[in-house]
Amino acid sequence: MSDIRLEGVTKRYGTFAAADSVDLSVTQGEFVTILGPSGSGKTTLLSLISGLNRPTAGRIFIGGRDVTNATAQERNIGLVFQSYALFPHMTVLENVLFPLGVRKIGGAEANRLARDALKLVRLDGLEERRPSQLSGGQQQRVALARAIVFKPDILLLDEPLGALDRKLREELQVELKQLQRTLGVTTLLVTHDQEEALSLSDRIMVLDKGRTQQVAAPTEAYLRPANRFVAEFLGIANFVGLPDGGQGLVRPERVRLSANGAANGSGKPAKVVEAIYLGQMVRYHLALEGAQSIVAAVPFLGTAHAPGEQVMVSWDSADIWPVT
Amino acid sequence: MKRRSFVAAAAALPAVSILSGTARAQSKEIRMIESGGASGDSIQKGYIDPLFKKTGIKVVRESPSSLGKLRALVESGQTSTTLFELGSGIVLQAKKLGLIEKVDWAAVNPAAMFPEAKNEYGFGYQYFSTIMAWRKGVKEPQNFTEFFDSKAFPGKRCLPDYPHYCLPFALQATGVPIDKLFPLDVDTAFKKLNEVKKDVAVWWKAGAQPPQLMKDNEVQYSICWSGRVVGDPAFGVNFAGGKSDLSFIAVVKGSKPEDKAAAWKLFYEMSLAENQAKAAEVISYTGPSPELDALLPKDKLWQFPTSKQNKAVQYFENAEWWAENGEAVNKKWEAFKLSL
Amino acid sequence: MRTAGRPAPRGPEDDDAMTRSNGFSFIAPLLVLMVVAFNAPIVYMLGLAFWEKGRGFTLEHYEGLAETPVYLRVLGNTMRIALIATIANVVIGYPLAHWMRSLGSRARMFAIALVVLPFWVSILVRTYAWIVVLGNGGLVNRFLQWSGLTDEPVSFLYNELGVTIGMANVLLPFLVLPLFAAMVRIDDRLLQAAASLGAPPRTIFWKVYFPLTLPALAAGALLVFILCLGFYVTPAVLGGGRVPMISNLLDTLINQIPRWEQASAISTILLIVTLLIFAAYRRLDRKASA
Repeated sequence: MSDIRLEGVTKRYGTFAAADSVDLSVTQGEFVTILGPSGSGKTTLLSLISGLNRPTAGRIFIGGRDVTNATAQERNIGLVFQSYALFPHMTVLENVLFPLGVRKIGGAEANRLARDALKLVRLDGLEERRPSQLSGGQQQRVALARAIVFKPDILLLDEPLGALDRKLREELQVELKQLQRTLGVTTLLVTHDQEEALSLSDRIMVLDKGRTQQVAAPTEAYLRPANRFVAEFLGIANFVGLPDGGQGLVRPERVRLSANGAANGSGKPAKVVEAIYLGQMVRYHLALEGAQSIVAAVPFLGTAHAPGEQVMVSWDSADIWPVT
Repeated sequence: MKRRSFVAAAAALPAVSILSGTARAQSKEIRMIESGGASGDSIQKGYIDPLFKKTGIKVVRESPSSLGKLRALVESGQTSTTLFELGSGIVLQAKKLGLIEKVDWAAVNPAAMFPEAKNEYGFGYQYFSTIMAWRKGVKEPQNFTEFFDSKAFPGKRCLPDYPHYCLPFALQATGVPIDKLFPLDVDTAFKKLNEVKKDVAVWWKAGAQPPQLMKDNEVQYSICWSGRVVGDPAFGVNFAGGKSDLSFIAVVKGSKPEDKAAAWKLFYEMSLAENQAKAAEVISYTGPSPELDALLPKDKLWQFPTSKQNKAVQYFENAEWWAENGEAVNKKWEAFKLSL
Repeated sequence: MRTAGRPAPRGPEDDDAMTRSNGFSFIAPLLVLMVVAFNAPIVYMLGLAFWEKGRGFTLEHYEGLAETPVYLRVLGNTMRIALIATIANVVIGYPLAHWMRSLGSRARMFAIALVVLPFWVSILVRTYAWIVVLGNGGLVNRFLQWSGLTDEPVSFLYNELGVTIGMANVLLPFLVLPLFAAMVRIDDRLLQAAASLGAPPRTIFWKVYFPLTLPALAAGALLVFILCLGFYVTPAVLGGGRVPMISNLLDTLINQIPRWEQASAISTILLIVTLLIFAAYRRLDRKASA
């Protein structure tokens, strides 16, 4: 188990910088997610860390060792692809044995390790199947078992759940988190799914156009985004004018609604444009005077405002986070 | 070739349907399968063109001819092809297999011919020789003993990949004179071939190979068909000990009477010395008329298989012996080839 | 085994069966044509050795074959040459296809065109072209002698080497094209995954890349081998008649002697051997993908 440190890591293709002076420090056992829209450079960054690609500039350290120019083989990294990348001509067990064989671990020892890894991802009993005989979720678990069986220093996950349907994805998110905790392995996950990032990680790193936007704990990034891009990329953002002329962020669940003309009515008048029921919550899209729109998320307590209804909206000044 | 035969067949259709009503008449168009190349052109110029001028009968040519093709024609029961070119040995086999018809010599009424050409089952229309030849500039052998002596006559050889060509020549190299070659002493002939095989670079299947190989200096001495080398200043030739053979045109079994009637007309044209002289302009092979020599150019007489000076020093192919023994010899030939 | 009371399900298999039978009625005329035009003559040809007009069933042509081991030796020699040519093809074709995979799309198109080019040139022309290149006075020998590497011309032609070169040249596309297609289909991420798991390049090649190309390699090599068995022009011209092949022997038996019955018996053995090789391949293939 090791920590990861990136110092000014840059990857240029011609004049285009896929990664631009990225710094990152991941402590041992930490789960960090690299989050960004497609084309933000997150997969490039992962390939640089894994050694499948070499940076144009900057240095990469794993466990204190400078691995900038080391090959993928030399880095002892567990890598999981979105496409699983299982060897189709091998059985499940053979796939998991592969990294052990490379490390000259064979016989009963290798068998025990492989079966343990498969048990850990709840695939015991499927050892002799071929990857083509497994479901997507099962295949990804094999890939996971293969990536952890040789006790890698770090675990890199490239959109590992991206190809799965929503329910399976949520199930596997929980399992992944538990597994990571059990193993205590330093983990870097790449995803464009903000919910996944928020729910799994100790910290997230938001990336855009190859540049770091913010590195912070999920709640920190959500409530106190470093800039407008992070604010908008993580969840829904309402921007309101500040007295000093700047702009402030108010998250929808911080917006209060009251019936028009109610006794405690205060704040600004608004018209309900759309009301969306989300089970325990209702999300309102509201139009303020001056064509400004606001999104509010309020607990559903049996009744709701209908579209067209006039309401009052308000928020505490303490819930406003100034953004640039 | 496929395309040509299709066009020919299509062209033949209306002619057949018009004439089928008049059973006695002869066809206005018949088909012939011959060996192709310059030989085929000589048939065209020497015999087919004159026939058309005189009678209006068309002969459509197609090539190549092989016994397998003839057998397939007859066994499939087709009657569209009337004439078929066959080697002297093959005529005997085709006759044995019942693949060809007797020639109605009375109907042909030919001009004077050498007797061996007037076969019961075919018209011997073309004499050709298989002789020794060499690339100009090397030592010139006078006989086959010298031809096979690679110490005195250094150089690579090119021999035919056919036993009925190679064996009699090899036997001559052991001292057997040309009139005592048959019955062939096969074992002695193979013994000789085994002695010389290391000097043989190429065993040829196609007649075009030896002259080309000599020109490219891949080999220096060859046994080849006379028509391919005589008259070419790049080569020296010697008819001594050579094999004289005769190609036949035969009538395919089951041919229609009206087609046969047309065929007899062609045979008549083929027996005329002046037509044979025309054919000899195209290829230096000769027809079966005893009067032909007089019509050939004097300065080129040495090139022709049947001119007096050449006929005397060659042996004539013994087709009967080969028909009897060909298959057994061929097995030995294949074994010999495996030992190369 | 349908139990009473439980209605037969109309699952996707039934739909499949229906489209299959519909499809069959469409191709039936073609199938009949194929059977009549291709299969019937083969059956007739095979039957020739067993059935003689007016005499009925006979095995004498096979007995004749057993008494004439030389024909079987020619068959054996043919297999040996075919095997050598196939190995030469694999040794040249595999690296070539692998190299083509690494090219950019434009260079790849160009390489494919070069590989396919020989298909557009008559086999006879190509075969004779080798004489110009490899003959005693050919390009290669002239270069060797000019550069002082040899004094005497090297005999590339009129031996098994010449036949092997010629056959490899003619048949290379049959191996390279399917192999290349299989190689292109291999996902680069599989190789990256193997590298990330710690495998050195040699292990990645032998444990991942090669096994994935093996079915195409086996199929291509088998195709080349079977095509080699029937070669006629190339051994006759480039072998200088010194490399006896079964098709030359069959030509003699069909067109010169003619012993069609004997030829049929030999062809039957050739066909059986070919089918046996094919069956062995299928078995291996099924085992590998089981």
